[in-house]
This record gives sequence, C-alpha cells and structure tokens, in this order.
Amino acid sequence: MTAPDVSGARRLPAQALEAAAGEWTKLRSARSNRWTVLISVLVTLAITTVVAETVASAPAGRRQPIDPVAGSFLGYAEYAVLPITVLGVLVFTSEYGSGLIRTTFAAVPRKRVVLAAKTCVAGLAALAVGELLAFACFFLTQAILSAHHGGLSVGQPGVAGAVLAAGLVLAACAVAGVAAGAIIRHTAGAIGAAVTVVYLLAALCLLLPSPWATRLGRFTMPFAAYQLISLHRQAGLLSPALSLLVLLAWPALALLAAAIVVTRRDA
Amino acid sequence: MHPPIALAVPVIAVVVVFVAFCLTDLARGARPRYLPTWVWALLICCWIPWGGLGYLFFGRAGRRGTSPDTLAPVPAAGPPMPRAVFTAGPARRAPAGIELDRLTKHYGRVAALDGLSVTIRPGAVTGFLGPNGAGKTTTMRLILGLDIPTGGTALVGGRRYQEIFRPLHEVGSLLDATAVDRGRTAWFHLLALARSNGIGQRRVREVLELTGLAAVANRRAGEFSLGMKQRLGIAAALLGDPGVLLLDEPVNGLDAEGVRWIRQLLASLAAEGRTVLVSSHLMSEMSMIADHLVIIGRGRLLADVPAGDFIAGARQDVLVKSPRASELAALLTTRGATVRPDGGGVAVAGLNAPDIGDLALAHGIAIHELVPRHASLEDAYLDLTSDSTDYQAKAMPAGRAGVP
Repeated sequence: MTAPDVSGARRLPAQALEAAAGEWTKLRSARSNRWTVLISVLVTLAITTVVAETVASAPAGRRQPIDPVAGSFLGYAEYAVLPITVLGVLVFTSEYGSGLIRTTFAAVPRKRVVLAAKTCVAGLAALAVGELLAFACFFLTQAILSAHHGGLSVGQPGVAGAVLAAGLVLAACAVAGVAAGAIIRHTAGAIGAAVTVVYLLAALCLLLPSPWATRLGRFTMPFAAYQLISLHRQAGLLSPALSLLVLLAWPALALLAAAIVVTRRDA
Repeated sequence: MHPPIALAVPVIAVVVVFVAFCLTDLARGARPRYLPTWVWALLICCWIPWGGLGYLFFGRAGRRGTSPDTLAPVPAAGPPMPRAVFTAGPARRAPAGIELDRLTKHYGRVAALDGLSVTIRPGAVTGFLGPNGAGKTTTMRLILGLDIPTGGTALVGGRRYQEIFRPLHEVGSLLDATAVDRGRTAWFHLLALARSNGIGQRRVREVLELTGLAAVANRRAGEFSLGMKQRLGIAAALLGDPGVLLLDEPVNGLDAEGVRWIRQLLASLAAEGRTVLVSSHLMSEMSMIADHLVIIGRGRLLADVPAGDFIAGARQDVLVKSPRASELAALLTTRGATVRPDGGGVAVAGLNAPDIGDLALAHGIAIHELVPRHASLEDAYLDLTSDSTDYQAKAMPAGRAGVP
C-alpha cells in the first residue's frame, strides 16, 4: 500500500496516467454527464432526420446549394456542439464551484498534470461521441436521401475524411470548453466565453457586409469546421489544411493560457 | 488496464491514421480524401470499448464493489475501532513531520500568515488553534501546495508537497467536508481519488467500512448530512494510509458519538507514529483530542506547548466566602496574595487553599466556602487570544441600543 519513495519529477508519466484514470472515473460517475450526452445524441439524430426529410422532399430544382456531406451535419451545430462544449466547461467549473478542486489538487499536486488529464479525458470522450454521432448522422441522412434520389457512399473519395472531421470538431469544442473553465473558473462566465469561441464569433461575422463575413469568419471555428466537413472545397474559406489548423489553434491557444494561469493562482 | 487507456489506444490510433492520410494527401497538393477499408474496420473496433464490452466490463467492475451483498456487513455496535483496519503495523515507516519556516501569505495588503515557524512532530495529535481568521486554513492550504506562499517554506517529511509522487500515500487531508460533487455517490467520489493515486478498490471499501459509510456508499454525496460528509472527508484522508494527517475542523457537524469516534481514531493514528494536525477554533473540542497545542492569532505563533503544560501555566485562584471577608482580605494581602471581589466572596491568587484555611483559623475567622479553581483550558486560550481576535464582539453601550 505504501508507495515507494520516488521523487515526483521522474514519475511524471505514471502520475499523468493515474490522474487521467481518476478523471475518467469522475467523468463517467456524474449522472448529469451521461444524460447530457444521451440527450444531445438523440436530439441531434432527430433534427438530422427532419433536415434530411425536408431536403429529400424538396423538388430537385429548388434544393439548397449546400455541400452534400456538410448537409448531413445541419442538426449538429446547436444540438451536439453546445452541450458537449458545456460538458467540457463543467469539468473544471463544477469543481471550482463546490471546492472539490482543492481535493483534486491535493491528490495530484501538479496543477498542469490535472489540466492535461482533464483535457485528455474530456477531449477523447468527446471525440468518441463525436465520431459515433458524425457517422450516425451521415448514414442516416444518406439513407433518407437514397430513398429519393440516391445519396452518397462513404467509399467515395473525400467523404470518409469529411465525416471523420465532423467528429473531430466535437473534440475541439470540448477542449476549448475545458480550457475556458480552467481560466475563468465560474460556470456562467466560462460557458459564455466557450460558446463565444465555438459559435458566437462566427454568428457575429455573418452579420458583417458581404466580403468581410467570410474574410474574417474563416478564422473562426465554425467556418473552419464547415470547410473540413464539406466534400467540395468551399470558395472564400481557408484551405482544408489551414482550416484544420484554425480549428485546432483556438482550443490549443486556450489550453496554453490555462496552463500558464493555473500554476500561478491559488486554488 | 485503466479505462481511459483502454479507451484512448484505439481512438489515438484512428486519429493518427486520419492525420497521416490527411497529411499525405496535402503533401501531394490534394484535398484530404480517401480512407481504405481497413481504417474503417479499425474505427469500428474503437467503439467497442466505448459503447460495448469495455464499458460493460468497467461499469460492472465499478459497481461490483458497492453492491450490498459483497460489502462486509457494518458492525452492529457503531463504527468499528480503527486498529482492526490498518493492516500494516505501527512504525513501518520513517516518521514524517511538518516543518513550517517563516511561512508568510499576503492577500493583497492583508497578511493572513506572518512568518509562522513551527514544527509538527509525529506520534502525537497536535491541536491547531486560533480564532476565526487567524490563518489556520491558510496554513493547511500552503502545506498542501494549493496556495502559493508569499514567503517561507512548508515541508512535509523534508520535501515540498508538490514533489511527492502519489501524495495521498503520505499526506491525508480534509479541508472542507462540504466540497463534494452533489451528484456523485460516495463510492465514486472515493474511487476517483483512489485511482488518481494508484489505490485499488479494496482500500476504498476498507475506508468506507472504517468510517461507517459502507451502507450508504451508493447514495449521492449531496444527500449526506454534514456529519456524514465529515466521515466521507475523513475516509478520503485515510485512503492512502498516510503517515501525516491534516484535518481542518473535522468535528464540525459530528454528533456526540461521532466526536468520540474521531477522538479514538486520531489517538490510535498518533499512537502508530503518525503526524496528526487537527485545527479548530474551539478549545473545548481540542482539550479532549489534542496532546500538543499550536495556537496562532493574526498569522503569528502564540503558543507551541504540550496540552498539559498549557493548562498548568494558566491562572489559578481560590474562591473564599467568609462573613468577615474584608478583614480576611486585608490579612491575605499582607501575606503577599492578590485579592479581588468575586461574586459573593473574594478570589485569592498567590496562596493555596490549605494556607488560606490555616490562616483564617489562626485568626479565628469563620470560612463558609473555600474553592480552589483552575482556569479551564478554554479560559487560558481566551486569555491568550483575546488580543489577536479579528472579529471581536463589542459590548453594546447601555441605553443606546436601537437609537439612531
């Protein structure tokens, strides 16, 4: 039972893995998390079905000029991205709110290890849910469309990559949420900041006059995500490679800021 | 393998493959495109631990520990005695103390701690006392590396807390019993802490039984009373079977039986050679629990003494009642005693009761009452800290209450 007396510096990988194990136990044992995921998955699938039926029943000439793959994910933005982002935020803010964070930091005194463990666990869980949901949405939409006019096959060039990217979007949002929670520490403020980054900035850009909407908007997460989940390259947006960079840069920069402030503050 | 690793390996593999494909396509100047069938197979495999077999397996492993039929029954006669539970014998480790050296913490311009230097030794229950706002909780947070000191050092077993690998094995702490996630059960609250320090489920069951919480392990911590939360906090502090225990106000909210239980628990832990630091703002609690007292006020050390010495050094006097009190008082004063009126009689300091009685008899003065009085530990404590109380109640000026 007694641990060998080894300095923490040389045991960093073991400490990080054990911290992740603890965070995983926390994530799966909070009942609200399970309900959040379940409800967001079900609602997303329901909205996706409605959207696909609407598109399928429209006359061929009057169909929306939307990308065939990205069209599978119209139910995704509000009903999956926002709950998963909030779930990421709560990973930190719920502990700061209750004071449990001090117990956590007492058990794993290196605060950056705690940040890394929480980020990895929440990010990987969101990635798993995201990929599951992305493929479910894709197959659901294409099944409905194929009954009418013939949908896409996942084996077609570019399709699988776009669908995989849709899952990655959810992980990026969850990580942005975790970082916002670590920096701001209060649930309401952190949700506001995270939702601004993953959603509102793009909505604000859309209000700008014509060339500026995409010129600025392409640097926000939703625009970058749209480029990645589209089968055909969207004109006016950044290239897929740069879009991937933008999508990952927001959460990465937020995490960097969190890593800097978390060790400088009192818990 | 731990669940997150089981989950992570296939997911990481898929992500790596995905990124590799994207990058090779991008290197050719094309948009990321095609994924072969075997990547698909890999992707499907990665859902198995998440939604299927893996989750079922780990889910059951988690529940197995808390199902009532596999838990040892709670002993009928209250919480069990602690010595039966600690499997390792006493003195199995080098005793680790706590050393504070000129520890200072400022919040803005307010000094919560002002150069506190004290050593907490193993093998005794040390009571950490001070009025509200004296800096007790701040000291504990600094020891645990939660807050960053403005100056000075706090060492546990000769090391900074942050340098300890698996710190729950060396230092158990209870800072705030109400700091629990309301929606998580006691079992998972402890299991998450245990996992983060490589502690197994068996030990989680042990501490649940030790603290008498085994029967409510599957209830949400939010439903617990304050006393049950205190027990849960103590269970968490004991998870790693640590050599050093820091408990901040652990008696709050406990009933009489709970207080007795914690007294016996702490005494037995100290008897095994552990360092036990228990804070309180109430001397009456400490007088029953502590062997040694560290008293602080306004962030400074006021006393660092064995509990017995503290009370011996406190004021003592004798209450004397006599029909010829003023005559007796004059007589006592000539013998070097200090006398002041107290109630219906006089309080005499500087002479003991037999001497006073003999003196009165020699002068033919009748004595109706002769009571030697020891200041209680609490009186001594209040005398000591009265100058350093932050939030002292002011006596209301007579006749002016309620007048604007």
